[in-house]
Amino acid sequence: MKYYLKLGLILFIFCAVASGILAYINTLTAPVIAERKALAEIQAREALIPNAEFEEKESDQGLTYYLAKDPETDEILGYTFIAADLGYSSTVQTMVGVDSEFKVLGVQIIDQGETPGLGANCTLPIFTNQFSGMTLEEIYVDKDGGVVVSLSGATITSRCIANSLREGIIDVKDEPNPGGEQ
Amino acid sequence: MGYLGEIFVMAMTAIFIQNFVLARFLGLCPYLGVSKKLDSALGMGLAVIFVMTLASAITFLINKYLLIRYDLLYLQTIAFILTIAALVQFVEMVIQKNAPALYNSLGVFLPLITTNCAVLGVAILNTTAFRSDGVTAYNFLDSVLNGFFSGVGFTVVLLAMAGLRMRLEKSEIPKSMQGMPIALIIAGIMALAFYGFMGWKI
Amino acid sequence: MNFAKELTKGLIKDNPIFVLVLGMCPTLAVTTSVINALGMGFAATFVLLCSNIIISLIKNITPSKIRIPVYIVVIAAFVSIVDMVMAAYLPALHKSLGLFIPLIVVNCIILGRAEAFASKNNVVMSIADALGMGLGFTLSLSLVGTVREIVGAGTWLGMRVTPLTYDPALIAILAPGAFITLGFLMALMNMLKEKK
Repeated sequence: MKYYLKLGLILFIFCAVASGILAYINTLTAPVIAERKALAEIQAREALIPNAEFEEKESDQGLTYYLAKDPETDEILGYTFIAADLGYSSTVQTMVGVDSEFKVLGVQIIDQGETPGLGANCTLPIFTNQFSGMTLEEIYVDKDGGVVVSLSGATITSRCIANSLREGIIDVKDEPNPGGEQ
Repeated sequence: MGYLGEIFVMAMTAIFIQNFVLARFLGLCPYLGVSKKLDSALGMGLAVIFVMTLASAITFLINKYLLIRYDLLYLQTIAFILTIAALVQFVEMVIQKNAPALYNSLGVFLPLITTNCAVLGVAILNTTAFRSDGVTAYNFLDSVLNGFFSGVGFTVVLLAMAGLRMRLEKSEIPKSMQGMPIALIIAGIMALAFYGFMGWKI
Repeated sequence: MNFAKELTKGLIKDNPIFVLVLGMCPTLAVTTSVINALGMGFAATFVLLCSNIIISLIKNITPSKIRIPVYIVVIAAFVSIVDMVMAAYLPALHKSLGLFIPLIVVNCIILGRAEAFASKNNVVMSIADALGMGLGFTLSLSLVGTVREIVGAGTWLGMRVTPLTYDPALIAILAPGAFITLGFLMALMNMLKEKK
């Protein structure tokens, strides 16, 4: 019995030392990871609607979106939000910018883990650029009667991006007062 | 879609559409190593289903009630692998004592399962998986079922491979292709066949 | 046994992928491009090197009954370190290797070398063994990655290497292509070996 206690103790010491080291490394890397993620989001936002002041809001449906205003005239320039939906093998997150008429200004895929060579091509400009200027009614993939040209061999990924965009736009549009003065 | 529909989607996805071996590349060592005979493939498959289901249950609880609650997610890898190693050891002892017949057929495969990446893989995947609506994270039952179906998916292709390889022994293969190379090429053709299920979204 | 011999055996004679057939999962999963293959290779080499050093240092104080769990703890700790550091400083690579970083823990090469070599040899030899095996692993991964990237995407390390008239055979970077490419490469190795 004593022998087994000793074995358990040795194993426990190893686990404790390993956990201690990991905890230390975590305190070093966690802020870097968080910072990098926040920075990437801010950069994506500013690329979509340049020279604007952003204000964080939450819709009734629980979607976090940002109201973009001209810093001088206070005019509403548009909205940005992150649309997310399940694609073929991962959740695809898309940073979306729309103008005050809810027309798409641009999209950028910020996170995806789709099949390389097929769905993963959704990050390419040839796919993302086509969304610019689209209205809510147009954002359906071609197979569903819309104007979004699907990636070849990756209809599911394309459809998930189009659907998440549409849902997000409807969500922000349906806010009683998206500009949010009163 | 009711919960039964959800289970159906989960089963189809784990077994055919996102098969662990052919689409996710998990559990390849036993897939290539233990697929020479049909009965040993069946034994290995059953042992994997058993351990994967149990491991999914336990790692889900550890993740939710220890790692997330106390903000220890950076210990996930170490906690999961130790849990699985201990679980396999424990299952081995219990079966040996209480079900000697079962132990005789599964026993030799159990120690191999600790280093089967499919088991650790399903445990980690469960923590980030969503139901088909893309919003609801897996609950306890979902995780257990997913573990079970993933094990079934592994077993299905393991058995198919074993059947093919037994026939292969009688055929004439160029010397440099014998053994592993031909097994890999067959696996490739099988993966191609499973691509027929891709594009199905239930 | 000398340092140079331990260092070179992993490259050809005991090549972990083509001869020992270990670590198949990452070999097939992450070799869709050369850069992923290199990332995985270096991550695994780093873990192998660190775990071999530690394990050869502690070999005298670990009771043999619990040596496997102790090795697993050591390996898992280094894997978690690689995971965190990569997420912080190489986020794109971290994302594309994804699940396969934590799965380095169950890569049979690492536990295999710990059990077969580091637990029986001194630190210097263990370092040579880890570097040799790690390098052999990395080179083999890059070879598979090279073939798949050129055939499947027409590029190498992201640069276009095929004439524009070549229409890439996408199948090579999809799952079936992984198996078939490795199968043919292995057959090629066998053929070369027979000729000798």
